Amino acid sequence: MDMSQYRDLFVSESKGHIQGFNELIVRLEENAADTAAVDELFRHAHSLKGMAATMQYQAVADLAHRMEDLLGRARSGEIGFVASLADLLLEGSDAIAAMVSAIEAGDDQLPDCAGLADRLAGFSVDGAPPPPQPAAGADAEPGTGDRDQGTTPPDHQPRQTDSFKSVRVRTETLDRLVNITGELITTRYRLADCALHVEGAQLAEPLNRLSTLLRELRDEVFQARMLPFSFIADRFPRLVRDLSRKQGKETQFQVEGKEIELDRGILEEISEPLVHILRNAVDHGMETPEQRIAAGKPGLGTIRIEVTRDKDCVTIVVADDGRGMDSASLADKAVEKGVLSRVQAQALTPHEALMLVCVPGFSTAETVSDISGRGVGMDAVRTAVQSLGGVLAIESDLGQGSRFLLKLPISVSIIPALLVETGSLTIGFPVNAIKRTIELRNSDIGEDGGESFFSLDGSRIHLRNLNRLFGQTSTPGSRNLVPAVIVEARGKMAGLAVDRLLGQREIFVKPLGIPLNRIKGLTGGAITGDGRIVYVMDAGTLL
Amino acid sequence: MSKATVMIVDDALFMRTILGKMLKDKGYAVVAEAASGIETMKKLHDCNPDIIFLDIILPDANGIELLDSIVKTRPQTKVILCSAIGQEAIVRKGLDLGARYYVQKPFSPEKIAEALASLGE
Repeated sequence: MDMSQYRDLFVSESKGHIQGFNELIVRLEENAADTAAVDELFRHAHSLKGMAATMQYQAVADLAHRMEDLLGRARSGEIGFVASLADLLLEGSDAIAAMVSAIEAGDDQLPDCAGLADRLAGFSVDGAPPPPQPAAGADAEPGTGDRDQGTTPPDHQPRQTDSFKSVRVRTETLDRLVNITGELITTRYRLADCALHVEGAQLAEPLNRLSTLLRELRDEVFQARMLPFSFIADRFPRLVRDLSRKQGKETQFQVEGKEIELDRGILEEISEPLVHILRNAVDHGMETPEQRIAAGKPGLGTIRIEVTRDKDCVTIVVADDGRGMDSASLADKAVEKGVLSRVQAQALTPHEALMLVCVPGFSTAETVSDISGRGVGMDAVRTAVQSLGGVLAIESDLGQGSRFLLKLPISVSIIPALLVETGSLTIGFPVNAIKRTIELRNSDIGEDGGESFFSLDGSRIHLRNLNRLFGQTSTPGSRNLVPAVIVEARGKMAGLAVDRLLGQREIFVKPLGIPLNRIKGLTGGAITGDGRIVYVMDAGTLL
Repeated sequence: MSKATVMIVDDALFMRTILGKMLKDKGYAVVAEAASGIETMKKLHDCNPDIIFLDIILPDANGIELLDSIVKTRPQTKVILCSAIGQEAIVRKGLDLGARYYVQKPFSPEKIAEALASLGE
């Protein structure tokens, strides 16, 4: 059915809904207890969603859907109609109005509102971070918790900025600032490379100064993108409570370090993985009160999230005091499933065995409750963490509980990477994702069934040739020393033989476009000072 | 035998127009449209439709309550609920109360055909 004939009707009716929506918000700001107005707001959002979906304006439908969800929460009394909610809803209706205008003008390219949609989805009354970040970043007090409520008098017009000291900045603008900063850093490296070829240029001092300034700029820009962990964590208590109740389990849930800030991009990426870990903790980790008491533990179980910051890293630990995992039976299961041979399984350290839960498809035998089974497995969790340049570790004691540790950089985009050369390619490995590098003598390398191995700290490590993995011709075997990068993949260490280790660099990682982003193991691209293209690899996915 | 008569209840003219077009294309007679609960109850008696496409969110009424009263007062009328993503709980309640089927927006001729087929149309 040709929908274009209904476009004008869609536009005019949408405008009516948007206008009604805006008027109602103002009405609610005068009287937050006007529940009929909330009902009507909900209906407007609902109508917009249905109409937009029918016209296949997905972006409009998505945004309206989030607004409807949020209003549903207000309607049920879960959240009060506070100033920050009014602000966010108005921002939503403005965005929809802009899209409708674009549609009216015949523009097929609608503005991207994914960030706004996420903020609508993640809204919470007490943790709602104000969209504008303090300009004076470093001096601002930490914990944005009650900033906007505490300082806004009830009769105040909440959409006007309190003073001239802060301004609203669109998240797209912040993203652009990050991009430009990244480009500047790349350019600085290029400049330094050029300077090497100019005799007597005396550029060392200004280049150093430039480096310092660029670092400052980078820090400031990143600071502006920071949001507290509570931005995503505020929905967790409810999640854990509901899941526990459904399964007849009793769980108390605690979050420590809510106020610690991370880049909003990272928060976005780890939100679903954390939900998955929490689901697992309730589904599989927690016992029923009866089982716990029989095991000599308190009937009430505990799940804790602890967020700590150490320099440029944030560690998020999700710990439960449930039944824990048995590394030996995980190894057995891996053999049963054909993931590992008996010999390989026996060689696993307990930690390596626990990491088996991150092997794709490994945990499919778990009972699929309506709560789990959402298509995000632990493999996806691990991939998400690693693609951010982070590391996932699992600790568990049978009968005592499990701990999932996510070590993440505070901000992405600019990461320290180890650059290696392999054939005609330059590959960057996020430094966080590699264990170490090694130079192997040919005599160190043994063959077994057509596969190469070497020995490190008493364990036998599989050596793969990176050239061959990329379908390039293999490096001639005549070299005396073979440089290799040691990574962890599927809970096991593996060596990747490369042609040359180029050293560590800070690179600015950009997302790859189609079709490069479909290549397994490639997570992004970067350009070095000499104009060389670096492919950023996730070794875990590649192997 | 001629095709069944249909009434469309949705507060959005846009939705009524699109759904009406789809039904007319299939040869159904749309005998009434209503944008609110009150309008529905006013028109229902006169037009006496065989089938009602009922949106569950309306300005002046709870669609589920409206459904309940239609089912109780006019058991011969078959009600198809129109919902959107995220309203599964309400839909389930509606089906329990006697709605015959539901269509999730966005509408498509296929979904409408499926809903009508479920009524034996």
